[in-house]
Amino acid sequence: MSDVSSDGILKGVKELSLVHKLSMHLGVFVILIGGWELGSRLGYVNELIMPPPTAIGYRLYEMFFITGSIYWHYFVTMFEAVCGFIIGVSIGLSLAITSAISPVFRRYWAPYAIVFNVTPGIAVTPFIIAWFGFGWSSKIALAALVCFFPPFINTLTGLLYIDKDATELFRSLGANRKQYFWKLQIPSALPIIIAGLKLAMTGALIGAIVAEFFSASEGVGILMQRFAFRLNMDGSFAALIVMSLMGLSLFTLMEYMDVKVLFWRRHSRMEEVSKKRKAKWSIN
Amino acid sequence: MADEVVIEAKGLTKAFTETVIAVEDAIFQIPKGSFVSLVGPSGCGKSTLLRLIAGLIDKTDGNISVRNAEVTGPRKDIGLMFQKAVLLEWRTAIENVLLPNEIRGDVGPEAKQKAWDGLQLVGLKDFEFSFPRQLSGGMQQRVALARLLQTGADIMLLDEPFGALDEFTRERLNVELLRIVDDPEITTIFVTHNITEAIFLADKVFVMTPRPGRIAAMIDINLPKPRTIEMETTPEFNALIKEVRDVLSGHLDGAPL
Amino acid sequence: MSTELDTDVNHNIEIGGGFKGGLGGAMIRHLIILLVLLFVWEMANRTGMGDPLLLPRPTDIVLSIWKIYVTQGNVWYHLWVTFKEAMLGCLIGCIIGIGLATAAVLSDVFRQFLKPYIIIVEATPRIAIGPILVTWFGFGMSSKVALAALVCFFAPFVNTITGLLGVEEESYELFRSLGATRKQVFWRLMIPTALPTMNAGLKLAVGSAFGGALVAEFISAQAGMGILMARYTMSLNMPSAFAGLLSITLYGFILFRIMEAIDYKVLYWRTDELMEKKSLKRSLAWKKEMQS
Repeated sequence: MSDVSSDGILKGVKELSLVHKLSMHLGVFVILIGGWELGSRLGYVNELIMPPPTAIGYRLYEMFFITGSIYWHYFVTMFEAVCGFIIGVSIGLSLAITSAISPVFRRYWAPYAIVFNVTPGIAVTPFIIAWFGFGWSSKIALAALVCFFPPFINTLTGLLYIDKDATELFRSLGANRKQYFWKLQIPSALPIIIAGLKLAMTGALIGAIVAEFFSASEGVGILMQRFAFRLNMDGSFAALIVMSLMGLSLFTLMEYMDVKVLFWRRHSRMEEVSKKRKAKWSIN
Repeated sequence: MADEVVIEAKGLTKAFTETVIAVEDAIFQIPKGSFVSLVGPSGCGKSTLLRLIAGLIDKTDGNISVRNAEVTGPRKDIGLMFQKAVLLEWRTAIENVLLPNEIRGDVGPEAKQKAWDGLQLVGLKDFEFSFPRQLSGGMQQRVALARLLQTGADIMLLDEPFGALDEFTRERLNVELLRIVDDPEITTIFVTHNITEAIFLADKVFVMTPRPGRIAAMIDINLPKPRTIEMETTPEFNALIKEVRDVLSGHLDGAPL
Repeated sequence: MSTELDTDVNHNIEIGGGFKGGLGGAMIRHLIILLVLLFVWEMANRTGMGDPLLLPRPTDIVLSIWKIYVTQGNVWYHLWVTFKEAMLGCLIGCIIGIGLATAAVLSDVFRQFLKPYIIIVEATPRIAIGPILVTWFGFGMSSKVALAALVCFFAPFVNTITGLLGVEEESYELFRSLGATRKQVFWRLMIPTALPTMNAGLKLAVGSAFGGALVAEFISAQAGMGILMARYTMSLNMPSAFAGLLSITLYGFILFRIMEAIDYKVLYWRTDELMEKKSLKRSLAWKKEMQS
């Protein structure tokens, strides 16, 4: 008699409380870091390849609190990524919406979009730099390019694949195209659109950083590259951690948006919104 | 019983392809205020026939008219209910019920009051602001019913609305449905593959047989109203069940009708 | 009274419709449009309207294509280098991704332990570690392979986990009731169930590995399509750079089609045609066995 069940995989997990889990993770983390540090000091780990956590930590402290050099670079890269995101998403969304509404447009445009996506947007980096120069605009442009596709394809798919019964319902109620679009297509597609936006955010950050690698004077990406090339490993790892932080903060932002907007997918949120609407209700 | 004929079909035919004839040569007259069950096995064309009446699909041949006007598309006096409740997940129950008003552009105090009352009528007190995902299947269908009532349509076309629910919920909803539509102004056509349900609800049962889809028989149900679940075990009821089955198996065995 | 509603919406969803299948009316239409565009582009350039540094003339691009492929023939070497880097990196990345995912699914302890690190790795732009890898591995091929592997491991990892965890409880119960061992459950139930999702992950991996290799080349390399294009653009040889870009596009497109073909063949139970063929094959094999 086998002892396998999917339950077993999740069982241990569900029974632990949040505090329990946090302390466990913390404990593991401390052990890992401790081991790393120890290994470095004992000479097992080459300091040039994997600098000890303390050195990295110090470097971070230095960047944030002593020289304060990191803030500007952080801002630059964030700015590039966010601008790229806004531009890429706007273009992606508008093209998708136009394609969804107009079959003619869709037939002519969409196949190209698919083909173009097959090439990693990254490959165009040299061109972007050549066209936009070494300044911020090339970073924003690459970010926009890289992050344009997921929102485009997701929005298009979401708007086109609507539940047939819902469509029939709207037809039977005599809805016109505008009502169909706003009251059914858009809300129905929201989950997949937001998934696309999340991917776009990741892409935008990557685009900005890769463009910086290619040529830049400011930004966390180029900072990290400079450190690495000068064999300043603590610095480059510190910069990597900063980039991690950037990614995490953007990720949290996107998650927050997801939770707020897609309220009908989470039980607690549904109850919240339910109460709110009940309170707002009045016959007049 | 009013004599006014509300729905009339003459030689109504719908062929999707040369060989797939969903409805062939349907001829019937449905008087105002009556409840007609459309029963038959899966794939016999009953849903198609319903959609022809509703104006959601076009006929291939023949004639279908509502209130002496030919059906060319969806109409305000016809309301629909499907097997899936088809509620919009992001709207509360009452907002779903108000959808028809929103589309028609007349969401005023009367509409809102009517929506509220509608939800009370179908037994969803205290659930007016719940979201579809928070409701059970049966409750979702009740919201769909309230939405149907909200349209103010007096011709109700229901396509196996309780098919996805368990027996007990279905029985309860059948009784409630009768209570709500038992009105000389409301004409109802109810599609189902459940013979008991078909007979329980109706004044007349249209039995449909598949390939091609034809109305093989139109049986009058003379059971007293209001109907109760206990009636289902009476000999009269069972005789009717047998009558319907005979029509169906007669066809399914290949024997000519 | 018919509504204005265009129910065409659900029936006309051919998004990639124009290019699928063989030569048809749609294909010809697109070809004509393409030719017209190229003509306009060419004319704009010749009359001095377009900037040749920005968008070189189509004729020049064609000449460059000829040059890099035939006369100089240098593009073959670089294509091969990038291909090697990407494929090797993809292989490593997939193995690691799938391996970690399997371990995570089979051991709940491991999975719990891994969770926070996965979230962090997911949020971090993995490609950012490029310079560090180049410093560690040098300017040679290994840094490209490493970055490609790192970048592409995530998709197969996440997808394999999702796929393996997607097995329904009832299927497990069935296997348990038949007394199956853990190994049998894994190979006969979990893996086949997870295959479609895993495959999707592999497709993504191939794309990302390619991108990773290119980025590593941008950072520093001596050979490969990335550095080739970089050199051309830096020396303002735009026609050749475009030629290189087109090569990459074509290459990616071919790869994409290959992945789709594999997907199609492996997941035979998704298409009626393949199912019938397999069904036939198996019934014939069965009959043969019964006779002997």
